Amino acid sequence: MDDARRARLTEWLRAAAGDASLTITATSLLSGGAIQQNWALDVSGGRAWVLRTDNAATLAVSHGRAQEYALLRAAFAAGVTVPEPLFLCEDAAVLGAPFFVMRRVAGTAAGHRVVRSDTLGGGREACVRALGRELARIHSITPPRDDLAFLGAAPADPCAAFIADQRSALDRQRLPRPVLEWGLRHLERTAPAAVPPVLVHNDFRTGNIMLDENGVTAVLDWEFALWSDPHADLGWLCAKCWRFGSDAQEAGGIGSRAALYEGYGSVDDARVRWWEVAAHIRWASIAVDQAERHISGVERNLELALTGHMVPGLEWEILRMVEARDAA
Amino acid sequence: MLREPPDAADLLATARDVLLNELLPALPAEKALAARMVANAMAIAARAAAQDDAWEAAALARMPGDPREFAAAIREGRFDPGAAHHAEAAVLLDEITRARCAVSAPRALGKG
Repeated sequence: MDDARRARLTEWLRAAAGDASLTITATSLLSGGAIQQNWALDVSGGRAWVLRTDNAATLAVSHGRAQEYALLRAAFAAGVTVPEPLFLCEDAAVLGAPFFVMRRVAGTAAGHRVVRSDTLGGGREACVRALGRELARIHSITPPRDDLAFLGAAPADPCAAFIADQRSALDRQRLPRPVLEWGLRHLERTAPAAVPPVLVHNDFRTGNIMLDENGVTAVLDWEFALWSDPHADLGWLCAKCWRFGSDAQEAGGIGSRAALYEGYGSVDDARVRWWEVAAHIRWASIAVDQAERHISGVERNLELALTGHMVPGLEWEILRMVEARDAA
Repeated sequence: MLREPPDAADLLATARDVLLNELLPALPAEKALAARMVANAMAIAARAAAQDDAWEAAALARMPGDPREFAAAIREGRFDPGAAHHAEAAVLLDEITRARCAVSAPRALGKG
């Protein structure tokens, strides 16, 4: 961060925090997502904060910083383990884009490391029970909410809304995807009855949850949240494509499905399984979009290019799931 | 036949071995992920270069309509279980996906 930006940020933080002597003692760019920049800020008085702002190129489907801040505030108030949101700045003149500041939390999120550890999160079973409790708290947030009005009206039928959204996404893509259509049609044929929508995190998976040796330290990455079926989050976490190769541990590659459900409370397993098929379709479609950013030249990048080659493996899994479910 | 050997698949596989066995151990830890991604890209490209593309024409010849029409028909429910050509459509999708996985994600096929 250059001196001019740092000076503007210091001035802004002094006013926001009501601390005229506040100084920033260190800044460093943390490894963040593809969409945002995360800066670690060390602030006078031993305060450890994170500043989150946008990269130049962002996905259209993700929420902006002001909206993510509102989601964090709602989650924090509902008792979800998230970094405490502190200040929001919507004035792009300070840093070039809106940003917010939250408390810095320690822990490990990296999926491949998490699934290999028997001790992170307090041990595998304790960890997934805790994840179940986190999801139950998230799902205690229900529409309508004035502070979350940007999420739009809650759908009457979240399963039907998911299918419609995915079909629209496929219709925007360059190539037809018969296997994803096959999976979506299966979901349409087998959709469970509508349930009242709740706040769904929509990217609650290994890799987006920070852990230390004692438990969950932060549920991260709220930018895809929406009103939907609560089982959507359980299905996304349990989907085989998000177990990071640790397939026997059905809850995110970390622990057992039974312990996750126990931590959550009341779970309709058949509904979760429906959302696991949905998870593979949605991830495949996101992977297509990520590869397209590379192919189109918007963002030439090897990781995005390789993500496209995950699509056939996801399609194979979708075909196998549909075949097994139709035979049952 | 008239091209000079070794072919693309051989060159990529040989270069990948050098990357993984000689270069990767000498790289700083923070560059290991990038090197592994390069190795992964080379493996996919080598499998693509070695694959006989005849499957693609054969699949298209059996497909009811072009891929866009096939996708639309699936969406409309014309290949649902119980429909006349459900089984043929399922087999065709399996064959196409198996061929795609053979290049992009061979571990997805039965071995994983």
